[in-house]
Amino acid sequence: MSLTRTSLLFALAAALTIPLVAQQSPAPSASPVQGPPQQSQSLVEYDDEVQRAAPNGVDFTGEWAPRFHEDEPERVPGPELGDYLGIPINEAARMRAMTWEASIQTLPEWQCRPHSADYIWRGPSPLRVWKEVDPVSRQVTAWHAEWLRSVDRSIYMDGRPHPSPNAPHTWAGFSTGKWEGDVLTIRTTHLKEGYVRRNGLPRSDAATLTEHWMLRGDVLTVAAIVNDPVYLTEPFIRTTDYELDLHQWVPPYPCQVVEEVDRPRGVVPHSLPGTNNAVTDFANRCGLPVEATRGGAETMYPDFRAKIGAITSKCIAAQR
Amino acid sequence: MTSRVAAFAVAAGVVAAMPLAAQRGQRGQQPPASPRAIAPRDFTGYWMSIVTEDWRWRMVTPAKGDYDSVPLNADGRRTADTWDPKRDEAAGDQCRSYGAPAIMRVPGRIHITWENDTTLRIDTEAGTQTRLLRFGSNTGRIGVGSVADRGPTGVGPVSAADNASWQGRSVAQWELSGRGGGMFGGSPPKPSGALKVVTTNLKAGYLRKNGVPYSANAMLTEYFNVLGPEDNGDIWLVVTTIVQDPQYLNGRFFTSSHFKKLPDGAAWHPDACRAS
Repeated sequence: MSLTRTSLLFALAAALTIPLVAQQSPAPSASPVQGPPQQSQSLVEYDDEVQRAAPNGVDFTGEWAPRFHEDEPERVPGPELGDYLGIPINEAARMRAMTWEASIQTLPEWQCRPHSADYIWRGPSPLRVWKEVDPVSRQVTAWHAEWLRSVDRSIYMDGRPHPSPNAPHTWAGFSTGKWEGDVLTIRTTHLKEGYVRRNGLPRSDAATLTEHWMLRGDVLTVAAIVNDPVYLTEPFIRTTDYELDLHQWVPPYPCQVVEEVDRPRGVVPHSLPGTNNAVTDFANRCGLPVEATRGGAETMYPDFRAKIGAITSKCIAAQR
Repeated sequence: MTSRVAAFAVAAGVVAAMPLAAQRGQRGQQPPASPRAIAPRDFTGYWMSIVTEDWRWRMVTPAKGDYDSVPLNADGRRTADTWDPKRDEAAGDQCRSYGAPAIMRVPGRIHITWENDTTLRIDTEAGTQTRLLRFGSNTGRIGVGSVADRGPTGVGPVSAADNASWQGRSVAQWELSGRGGGMFGGSPPKPSGALKVVTTNLKAGYLRKNGVPYSANAMLTEYFNVLGPEDNGDIWLVVTTIVQDPQYLNGRFFTSSHFKKLPDGAAWHPDACRAS
């Protein structure tokens, strides 16, 4: 081999080494979200760099067991009538809740009704999460979340727009996600009317839901924030924890509508405003001020304690 | 002519490579960036807890014997049933429900600041408590070392002589996403945005004001996440709290508490511990 060819090969090797050396010594970044990478000449290299640099989050795939260490009496047996503590409802929501009758659940139209996307996190159901992967690009195009007695929620990651406001509203709504560091932030619209607590507190079909999914170790924490211009005066946030349980499975739950109560056709269980005296039973039993149990944004702020004074509750939830 | 071109090419390649090599050498000699300098999110400021969960156990004093939702074992329930706030007051133990495993759940404002480049400080209105979250000596470089290796203090195992306290000893580290490795597809480790804190060396206290106990053997693991801003400008701090206590709990006790960022400390109003 001539000197010339050797020199050229050496120079070529040195030139090829430079990018690799640079790539092996990334400077620590203060930001979890890095800027777009430089576009290279090769399509394959470009894709790989995009994948490496993108804030592509984590994999939530798995079976998740709810941990009822918060609000267990509300979430498992169900909330008491008239308990609206700490929820930023307005007067319209309060009136609807105080005219609600639990036996409405026996109506055929309600028997198989699933919890909506916003409430289901607080429901008593195990959760399964899986991802949909494009077979060609290998990009995650959607996440799916499914609970017992619920619907398959799709969370689109492919950048598609939300549909027209006049598009059909569903229990799951229409959800799109994006990564913020390794937090998955999801925006949901097109929800059918639902409830923020299953004792009659309504949530309108104009509401939107923002979720932040956080995976830390084997714990999934989800912050769910509901904005409802019809029934809430402020955003309503709840944070809920699930623990990875690879032995869990979500069984099928075929729901069949039956005639539970023999009642005249067209009758909808309800109370007229101001006639349901049972809505104060919870406050009286627990020794809480009735005005506190009526809820409203004021009740979710720490300073509300100064207003109601030092109170020791009389409630002891049934041990399970 | 050909040999001149070849020589020029060699020289050009070597010269081109030198700055990168030199840069790498300089970087290796620089002291690692401090945890404060590489903070992935701004955790500092005034935050207010928003009590939309567990209202009946947080905003009022729960009834004696109301330990619903907590995975207490039989020993834990027996201990909770002996709760006597007057006895605690007399013993000077009125802060038992303000220890690290419970304090983020107590309604009120908190103030987070950097005490120094390696220590985050949390002051609470409720009970006027102070928590110090110390990054370990190695955590100037993200992803180096582990809590288990360094012991809970970050500088070695805790000795029996270390005094237990309500807030215990807290070791902090920035969480990393990804482990790296693999030629393709393996994402290099980068800050996830979360702060992980492990706290031990605790004085025995209460998970709730009504005497639901945790023991001095309890270990607390927390994940702090800053979320937002939301569309309306809200910025949230979510703290996932995991308490492990072989003495009083059947399993891990999970709660997650949310705080809304405040523009300033105008409403800051510290309050003394109360036993009931």
